[in-house]
Order: sequence, then C-alpha cells, then structure tokens
Amino acid sequence: MVRSAIKISLPIMFGFVPLGIAFGLLFQNLGYPWYFASLMGIIVYAGAAQFMAIGFLSAGLGVVEIAMSTFFLNSRHMFYGLSFLESFGNWNFRKLYLIFGMTDETYALLTTIQVPEGFVKERYFLYITLFSQIYWVLGCTIGALLADFMTFNTDGMEFAATALFVVLLIEQWIMVRRLLPFIVGLISSIVALLLFINHMLLVAIMISIASIVFLRLIKGSSS
Amino acid sequence: MNELEYLIVVIIVMALSTYFTRLIPFLLFSPGRESSLLNYVAKSTPPMVMMILVIYMLRDMSYYSFELVYTFIALAVTIGFQVYKRNALLSIVAGTAVYMFFVQI
Repeated sequence: MVRSAIKISLPIMFGFVPLGIAFGLLFQNLGYPWYFASLMGIIVYAGAAQFMAIGFLSAGLGVVEIAMSTFFLNSRHMFYGLSFLESFGNWNFRKLYLIFGMTDETYALLTTIQVPEGFVKERYFLYITLFSQIYWVLGCTIGALLADFMTFNTDGMEFAATALFVVLLIEQWIMVRRLLPFIVGLISSIVALLLFINHMLLVAIMISIASIVFLRLIKGSSS
Repeated sequence: MNELEYLIVVIIVMALSTYFTRLIPFLLFSPGRESSLLNYVAKSTPPMVMMILVIYMLRDMSYYSFELVYTFIALAVTIGFQVYKRNALLSIVAGTAVYMFFVQI
C-alpha cells in the first residue's frame, strides 16, 4: 500500500518539491534561520498562504490581518471538505490529519483516483496525504538550505501545477462523463475573472457551487 | 515582541487559521444524515474545481503573445500524453519540460 501511495502521489512530488524550493529560497531572503521554512511546511502546510506569508513578514503586518487574510485565502478549502465527509471515516487522529493535509493538490488527487481493491480507503488516503506533505516540507527545507549556495534556473517550473490540474481534469472527465459540472466550472471561472480577478479562485468556486445547487433545486421542483 | 517571536506568532496564527478553514465542513455536516442535495454538490464539486483551477493557473497569461503560443503547446503535450498514455507523471514532466524550454530560450 505504501508503494502504491508513493507511486500515485509522484505527480504531487513533482509539483511540491520545486514549489517548496521556490518558497524556501524566497523565505531565506527574510533572514530567519532556515528551519523556520521547514516549520511552516510542517504546521501551516499551505502553498499560497506560505508565499503570502513572506509578504506579511517583510511588511511586518499585524496578527489579526494575517489571520484574516490567511482565512480568506484558504477559504476555498471549506468547499473541498464536502467531498470527503464520508470518505475520511470516523473522528480520530487520522481524520484530523487528513483534514489538515487537504491542499489543492491532495484534494485534486484524492477525488480523482480509484482506491485499488483490497486497500482500506482511509489508510490509503493517509499515506498519500502524508507523502504529499513530506514532499512539501522537503522542498521548503532544500530551498532554505540552498539559498546561500546556488542559483539554478527554475523558470517555467510553475507549469507543473498547471499540468497536474489539466491531467486531473482529464481524469475527472473520464470518470464523471457529465458535461454540466465542467460547463458550470468554466462559466463561473469566466464570470469570476471578469468581476473579481484578485479573488478569482474563491469567487469562482462559490459561484459554481451556488449555480449547481440552484440548477439542482430547479430540476427537483419541476420533476 | 522581537523579530523571532513575531515570526513564531505569525506561523502559529497562520497554522490555526488554515486548519480552521479545512475543518469547518466536517464540523458543520456530519456524514450519514446528508441530503441528496449535499451529495450531489459533493459529487459535482471535483470536476468544477478542477476546471476552475486550470483556468486560474492560466489567468495571468497575456494575450497575443509568444507566451500564449508556448503555453498552448505545453498544454497540448500534457493533454496528448495523458489521453494516449494515461500516465500522470509522464504527462506532467513532458508538458513542464516543453514549457521550461520555451521560457528559458
């Protein structure tokens, strides 16, 4: 099960390690000890929020502002949990950790993969989530340690995240085979881009969920 | 508060704030007594979110530029590999390699 979890989480490694390295390199510019980059990867574990934290820290922003910005930046995760209400199992430490480890990438992967036969879903999920975080912490640490020594050209590496989401989109299409959610997602994105480019991600997810609820209710009441 | 204390407070606050956003749905809804509506939403969310994430990643692309051209080439490579080989890692590595090549030349 461990080997299978490593294999299936490799795409996340490919995204997280370079992104983590980029974070570590930038974080080191602030002049803190390197291990705080690792610590953030371990206890915060949020890509976008950690990058934003570099801005907070260098600007010396207040704690309340930071708490609120982090909350808004990550509030899309509130919707992600809806997909895992059943599959994370009963309340225990494993579930608490699975919830903690629910990033864009793990959400995308866990909602797309088929759990191989004979595997306990929650444990399989746990390994995937754990390995994903290990990749991230490794990336953050390597980046922070490398900051003083070398520069290498990672330009364009950010496309790995785009490619991961494209791959998972194709896999979702192969699994779901219903056009509606894809169209709702597309239209919501366009509307959100036009109206709220700065908060596009959260707004698009809210519009899409509101729309799908609306469409479902109309359909329900007419039939 | 010295600089290191500030950093530690910031990290703790961010950790709590992030965890809270991820925990909320599990506190609000308990499994088992879900409505069919909630189930429907839960099933439709992954394809919607994946669509949105892809567009989100591409949002900063400038129009009528070389970037647009090579981004589409890299996307085509990624999609092509995924459709014909169904190997996620291979598709991502291939697409990213193509993209990095164009960015760095």
